Amino acid sequence: MANDQSSTHPVPRRQLQMARSMCWHCQSEVTGEYFCERCVKVQPVSKETDYFTCLGFPRRLMLDPKTLEAKFYELSRTFHPDFYQTKSAAEQTISLSNAAVLNTAYRTLRDPIQRAEYLLGLETGSVKDIRTSPPADLFEEILELQDTLEEYRASDHDADEGRRLRDTLKTEQQTLERRKEEMESQLRKLFVAWDKLQDAGEATSPARAERDRILKQMRDLLSHRTYINNIVNDLAVTIA
Amino acid sequence: MAYSDKVVDHFNNPRNMGSFKKDDADVGTGMVGAPECGDVMKLQIKVQNDTIVDAKFKTFGCGSAIASSSLATEWLKGKTIEEAQKIKNTDIVQELNLPPVKIHCSVLAEDAIKAALADYQKKAETQPADTK
Repeated sequence: MANDQSSTHPVPRRQLQMARSMCWHCQSEVTGEYFCERCVKVQPVSKETDYFTCLGFPRRLMLDPKTLEAKFYELSRTFHPDFYQTKSAAEQTISLSNAAVLNTAYRTLRDPIQRAEYLLGLETGSVKDIRTSPPADLFEEILELQDTLEEYRASDHDADEGRRLRDTLKTEQQTLERRKEEMESQLRKLFVAWDKLQDAGEATSPARAERDRILKQMRDLLSHRTYINNIVNDLAVTIA
Repeated sequence: MAYSDKVVDHFNNPRNMGSFKKDDADVGTGMVGAPECGDVMKLQIKVQNDTIVDAKFKTFGCGSAIASSSLATEWLKGKTIEEAQKIKNTDIVQELNLPPVKIHCSVLAEDAIKAALADYQKKAETQPADTK
């Protein structure tokens, strides 16, 4: 257990930088992004490098999908195993693992919701650090809907009762989908507010309070959205 | 990943599914959710003379979440409030043989027990109990 603790303990920033800034091959200082300027060897993406940095973006939430994609393709070519076939085994391993990290980074950042979840994790240490108040009303609603879903599953779908239940569920589905959309538009507003705050880069206490407010609201909305998303999917599958 | 036999059994034959009236004085309700996966769990206890005489649950989630809450209600019945406080998620993990990725389901069940107990105790404090 004690080992677990130490391995998850964040490495001091300075140490990290130093580890990354030295070329594994010629030990000279690496100033470039992924290649040593002296011996031109590919450099491994540090495990501690976050996905934003990995793809060369600041921690912003309104990323342009086209720009993101372009950067991903560019780096994918850079690390593509085909270009390393004649290189040393060490370089092949590095390029391959870089390509894997890059894929995960892109998959995470490509989706705005996953991107926000990921940013929350980075900014708050652990997502669980922000406890959300459980939306009790929503839970009641979800559990009640579950009952209706069960009833529908057990019913004869062609009989009047089955049709009636199906209509009820259909209406619920539409209502929930609208609510999901509303939440997503609220989230987008928070994304914009976050980016604006980051761009301003102020370290004042109102700015810090604003930062915490945005993160907390984002956490709440993202959780609510997950609950709603689950039940909406369940509804869609059952009454399809 | 395969579920253990015990999980499958609880999933196919959930014990104590259902609910009590949550406004009743002798009922404690715990409603919890896991924002990571969207699972929702409601666990209720019926208490008489400091002993849990009945327990029910409703869970919207994966098989492990259903099994965890089903098992929890079985364990709760007959226990005193104090004994119930001692139920740990690790006990559930062990009994159901949950794999690491499903441990959060047992945490959810423990949270639900704690929430139900807290709800009951809050009720008991505000209105002197022992109507029965």
